[in-house]
Amino acid sequence: MHSALDRWFIDEILVHEAALVRYLERCWSRRDEIHDLRQEVYVRVYEAAGKALPTQPKSFLFASARHMMTDRLRRSRVVSIESMGDFEPSHVLVDDVSPERWCGGRQGLMRLADAFDRLPDRCREVVWLRRVEERSQKEVAVRMGISEKTVEKHIAKGMRLLADYLYGLRDDAPAQPVAEANERDERHRVD
Amino acid sequence: MNATASTEPVPGRSQEIEQCAAEWLARLDRGVWSDIDDQALQTWFGTDTAHRVAFLRLQAAWRESDRLQALAAGLRDSGPPPRGYWLSPAGERVMLTRRNPPQRAHRRTGVPKFAMTTLLLIVGALAGGAGWRNYTRVDSTRYQTALGATQNLPLADGSEATLSSDSRIEVRLSRHQRKIALQQGEAFFSVAKDPGRPFVVDTGTHQVVAVGTRFAVRRDGADLRVVVTEGTVRLEPNGNGRSAQPAALLPAGSIALVRGDAVLVRHVALQDAERLLDWRQGLLAFRNTTLAEVAAEFNRYNARKLVIGDPAAGNLRIGGSFRADNATAFVRLLEQGFPVHADESGDRIVLRSR
Repeated sequence: MHSALDRWFIDEILVHEAALVRYLERCWSRRDEIHDLRQEVYVRVYEAAGKALPTQPKSFLFASARHMMTDRLRRSRVVSIESMGDFEPSHVLVDDVSPERWCGGRQGLMRLADAFDRLPDRCREVVWLRRVEERSQKEVAVRMGISEKTVEKHIAKGMRLLADYLYGLRDDAPAQPVAEANERDERHRVD
Repeated sequence: MNATASTEPVPGRSQEIEQCAAEWLARLDRGVWSDIDDQALQTWFGTDTAHRVAFLRLQAAWRESDRLQALAAGLRDSGPPPRGYWLSPAGERVMLTRRNPPQRAHRRTGVPKFAMTTLLLIVGALAGGAGWRNYTRVDSTRYQTALGATQNLPLADGSEATLSSDSRIEVRLSRHQRKIALQQGEAFFSVAKDPGRPFVVDTGTHQVVAVGTRFAVRRDGADLRVVVTEGTVRLEPNGNGRSAQPAALLPAGSIALVRGDAVLVRHVALQDAERLLDWRQGLLAFRNTTLAEVAAEFNRYNARKLVIGDPAAGNLRIGGSFRADNATAFVRLLEQGFPVHADESGDRIVLRSR
């Protein structure tokens, strides 16, 4: 189902998300833009890789991040001094997560267990019934006494949180379920 | 702003895109998906690479959550276990605080000696004729090997078991579980993946639970050894239902030794773990192993027992690969290469240092 490019993106790029976000946070003073920056880097990398697959995915990822931040600064009318961080990525390449550490057997499984445990209660239950017990969304709704629509929303939320924990989570982050922060997005329905 | 307007970032837009991607995936997950839906999704991909990238990222994470099934295998009740249920073995050692006190006695005196070559197969407990497709009924099949024999057993679910010498298992396949009671000896399992039916090896005191994996379980008196060569299994004490006590997760390359209340987990290179399973090819492989242990190993396969005559002999270190059923050849080699003298008498070979 995935193209080779998709596969490459998942295996070679997404695994570095924690390091990438750390790098962006070091260089960029506005925290509320990090999510946007991250996505823009991914877009750049994905589009460039569609033309020619980089031989050094990780270096390429960080170089793309550096270029993107430079471009953004150049484009903005007023350059704030404090946003001119140190873009040199060599400092962050030392200690980050290797793909092996990320997806290797026990580590990966424990990471998944940990990510799962961080989900909010209802969301956690929905994900469990759907993914582990392989019940349909309909069955989950009946069992939990909620609407199918709500089940779908929990699933949407669950995968966003899981992705954040699996790809982006730093090892030192506190282990606790996050607040229900994504409800505001529910008005955006796509049809 | 004009020339660069299309690439000018809109703050918070990536969050919106991610939410849209999540909604697409949640709809896809619902299972009702038409060609029209698919076209709409493709169109959505086409309008912005950011859409596809966000989608891929969430989809990969969602697929990854498939592996939760490996963690869930064997849990009896529906619904998620309490948070923190999965405890990583801290360091090398996991202490299990509770176990089932009464241990069933399985003595090999009960094994009839008449079957010297092949296995004895008893099909029992066939409740009616409906077989395991019936919800409540369970086929129970017992397999047993004679001393010195190993046997490959294809199981009805597509898994395969290899029974070591002088070993006994009872296989019960139901709609919800595949349960193997290891009553004596050792067996290696190559498990067919079936998330809906966990594969559980029960040794009386412990359960070894797998979903699609390869591992061996061995009983040695009250001791238990689990060797995992592929995938992950969960080792847990037999308790009443789901208890708060930790289960040990054993990835490929693990050797777990259970003695009394303690579980010692070692992580070794995969080929070292495989080496412990050479008996499947009728070989016993040793590396820097004491003669006492080597003798015990040979004795699992042979009626004629190797007996250690004195501690000095027992402490000799042996390496090499030998045919399990040819203890005599091993003893000859031993006499040639080591300061050991063998006294053969009846069904015993006594090894003394000289």
